Amino acid sequence: MSKVRAKEYQLRIDHALATPKLQDALHKFGDAFLLAREKAFSQYDFEALRQEIAASKDEVAAHRQQYLEQFIANAEAAGATVYLAKTAADANSYIAELAKSRGVKLAAKSKSMASEETHLNHALESAGVEALETDLGEWIIQLAGQRPSHMVMPAIHMFKEEVAELFSKVTGIQEPAEIAHLVQVAREQLRQGYLDADMGITGANIAVAETGGIALITNEGNARLVSTLPKIHVALLGVEKIVPTLEDAATIIRTLPKNATGQLLTSYVTWIRGAVPCGDGEKELHLVLLDNGRSALAESPQCRDALRCIKCGPCANVCPVYQTVGGHVFGHVYIGAIGIILTAFFHGLDNAAEIVRACIGCRACVTVCPSNIDLENIILSLRETIGHEEGIGVGKSIVFRKVMRNRKLFHSLIRAASLLQKPVTGGHRTIRHLPLFFSSLTEWRTLPAIAEKSLRDQWQKIPQKLEKPRYKVALFGGCANDFLYPELGIDLIKVMNKLNVEVSYPLEQNCCGVPALYSGDKETAIALAEQNIAAMLKDDPDFVITTCPTCTMALQRDFVEFLKDNPVWAAKAEHLAEITVDAAGFIVNQLGAAEVFKGISAAEKVTYHDSCHLKRGAGVWKEPRELLTTSGRELVEMDHADRCCGFGGSYSLTSHPDISKQILGDKIKDIEKSGATCVAMDCPGCMLQLRGGLEKQGVEVRAMHTVQLLAESLE
Amino acid sequence: MQEERLVTVFSEAARAVGAKVESVSGVEGVVDYVKQLATGPVMVPHFASSERLKLAAAIKKAGVVLVQDDLRQGAAIAAVGVTGANFAFAATGTVVLESTAEDIRLATTLPEHHVVLLDPAKILVDDLAAVPHLRTFHQNSSRNYLAYITGPSRTADIERVLTIGVHGPKELHILLFSGLSDDPLEM
Repeated sequence: MSKVRAKEYQLRIDHALATPKLQDALHKFGDAFLLAREKAFSQYDFEALRQEIAASKDEVAAHRQQYLEQFIANAEAAGATVYLAKTAADANSYIAELAKSRGVKLAAKSKSMASEETHLNHALESAGVEALETDLGEWIIQLAGQRPSHMVMPAIHMFKEEVAELFSKVTGIQEPAEIAHLVQVAREQLRQGYLDADMGITGANIAVAETGGIALITNEGNARLVSTLPKIHVALLGVEKIVPTLEDAATIIRTLPKNATGQLLTSYVTWIRGAVPCGDGEKELHLVLLDNGRSALAESPQCRDALRCIKCGPCANVCPVYQTVGGHVFGHVYIGAIGIILTAFFHGLDNAAEIVRACIGCRACVTVCPSNIDLENIILSLRETIGHEEGIGVGKSIVFRKVMRNRKLFHSLIRAASLLQKPVTGGHRTIRHLPLFFSSLTEWRTLPAIAEKSLRDQWQKIPQKLEKPRYKVALFGGCANDFLYPELGIDLIKVMNKLNVEVSYPLEQNCCGVPALYSGDKETAIALAEQNIAAMLKDDPDFVITTCPTCTMALQRDFVEFLKDNPVWAAKAEHLAEITVDAAGFIVNQLGAAEVFKGISAAEKVTYHDSCHLKRGAGVWKEPRELLTTSGRELVEMDHADRCCGFGGSYSLTSHPDISKQILGDKIKDIEKSGATCVAMDCPGCMLQLRGGLEKQGVEVRAMHTVQLLAESLE
Repeated sequence: MQEERLVTVFSEAARAVGAKVESVSGVEGVVDYVKQLATGPVMVPHFASSERLKLAAAIKKAGVVLVQDDLRQGAAIAAVGVTGANFAFAATGTVVLESTAEDIRLATTLPEHHVVLLDPAKILVDDLAAVPHLRTFHQNSSRNYLAYITGPSRTADIERVLTIGVHGPKELHILLFSGLSDDPLEM
């Protein structure tokens, strides 16, 4: 099963990658969206708003039964019939039975992701009821026989020429591919549908416990028609849409349009409570509250925050993977980062198994989430679950469990590999071509060779003569710094010594565990956390300095999370997290010593690449820029400086190299366009990716760690 | 002073999303405005301030055909729907219509032009200031259909290109009419 699934998935990726027009459209959309969004929030405090939304959603999650009962009681008192659907099938059969019993022939629908989730249209068709989608995007994909590729803009993957073809089939005449004309065609074609329909079906953005009413946030006006003209109104909504009060609803309404489309407010916000007048009588209103996995999600401590989601969509808009392959690859019914999580709970792990690995972990989504959901963290925990269910692959399993957990074995194997690679490196520092089976890995990027002498093997011989060091710090090197780029560690000593800081390198430190964690092997990650905490705290350093932001996140965040319930390790993990800091942040914030480097460099034109985990994990982005400009370099900002470079560790090596390659291509274009002769960064992983890509493409721009640039100027 | 500032902010925000905002004086001003939009029948549903102005009769007297009998079919062919607004809020240029009565909904969803009469004294600061009024509506009546309307109907579903007037009104005209009504619970 999983082999067939993986093959189909790969075919979808290949197809998407062969559609540059789609990639181009999604890239432009991502750029335009961010500008519009920033403008919309310019007078508002996004951080405060998202805290409020998260708090009100958490309040409901903590007292689910109470708010559910309050909502139902108030809705029923206003004349609504409420049905609680445990599964998608329950919801569908309730609505289909209702339609049959009322003799409904045509149901006009406005946009409802919940109805996409349950595949309601199929159920209605089987019951002999025609379902007419009236949202423009939904109608387009209904005519095309597709599913939405975006939560807010369902037909974002289609172009006007395709829409014109679809509409021409409906009208029987050749419709020109002009957008204003096509919109008018939709208006005319769908108009009679509202008047003829016996049932109107909507979703809901919000359900208010205080009133028993729902709110719809829309632009086109079709939901108002659908909820006004037919005699029966069915609203299908997830139970997680319930909020306590009108104020809570107002906060969502204030936030959602700005975050979804960059509008201050949508054209329409419609509050409906109860059976309102309809024709000579009153409306028959049915509220179908859908569970379908939401209770299970609420019971999962690692994943439950996902229930805060207000379905606004930008987690996809800003996602480099989504921009590269679109929502038909990176999603099931729900797409993008939140789609991975919702798919797992609503449509089963099997449907989520591939896309859960497609996240590159860049955290771009986390920064724009209006409900403050740590999407990346939840995706990691799902990966672990899937690792349990399906295994993480025999090769990986042996490497992580048998090799990495045994540090001495791991490190001696790396040393052995350093000798074995000679035939392919020819003694050079980078691998330009790999033979046969592995050749695809170096098709688009050279790879660094494993260093002849690792950092740990050279450390003792590096002199540090400080009489009264200001601080004693321990370097957490991480695998890349230790085995691929030992010179980076040596440069760090140089820079720290200049600042009167002495650096030690605890030899018992091991891999930070992130590769194992990202592959779904949390057990190994925890074993490594314990080894590293013991090693790094052994000599009681003042600080632990890192040169790799992914390691930084492991030490600052993951170790604490893994061990918080372990009485032996919890306090130690907390302490390590407190004293861990990245090199640039340490120099600027802890030492306040940027001025030490003042004017020591030539005025080289440098652009800065923000590493995902440094900016969005550790919150550091100003510091390295300050160091570079203080040192005398000219900083020229590239476009999308904080967009992922496409590395993502094993993401680029084994799981999704073809997507990684595309994302790298975007980054290289931005670097070239900046006109800089050097791109600085603070992550050896990004360095591997960017150096490799720049070298392979023959672009003469140096890719350097900020620490290396500082050391270079000290010489 | 405060009212003047709110009118300015409201008008700018409403225009920014494609609404037309004009000041009119007296029922004649409304009639003139509606008449020049009336390429077909006009629907004037029942609402308090229009009853006081005897607006429907005045429009009819000006020679415009009114939708009167079968409201559903009539609204579908009407060129203009004329309603009041209970109140508005400035930050986003939004008018709020208590639309529980079906004729208000028909007049604001089906015709191509929607004309809204608004007393500028009823412009609040923003969406949060609207919440207490929402609560009062809910307390006064057990069933409600309340609408925030911000500009004309729009879509960006084809290639993300903003296009005005998909299913709802293609034009939203807001007529500022001082002395119409100062009660935010009344339309």
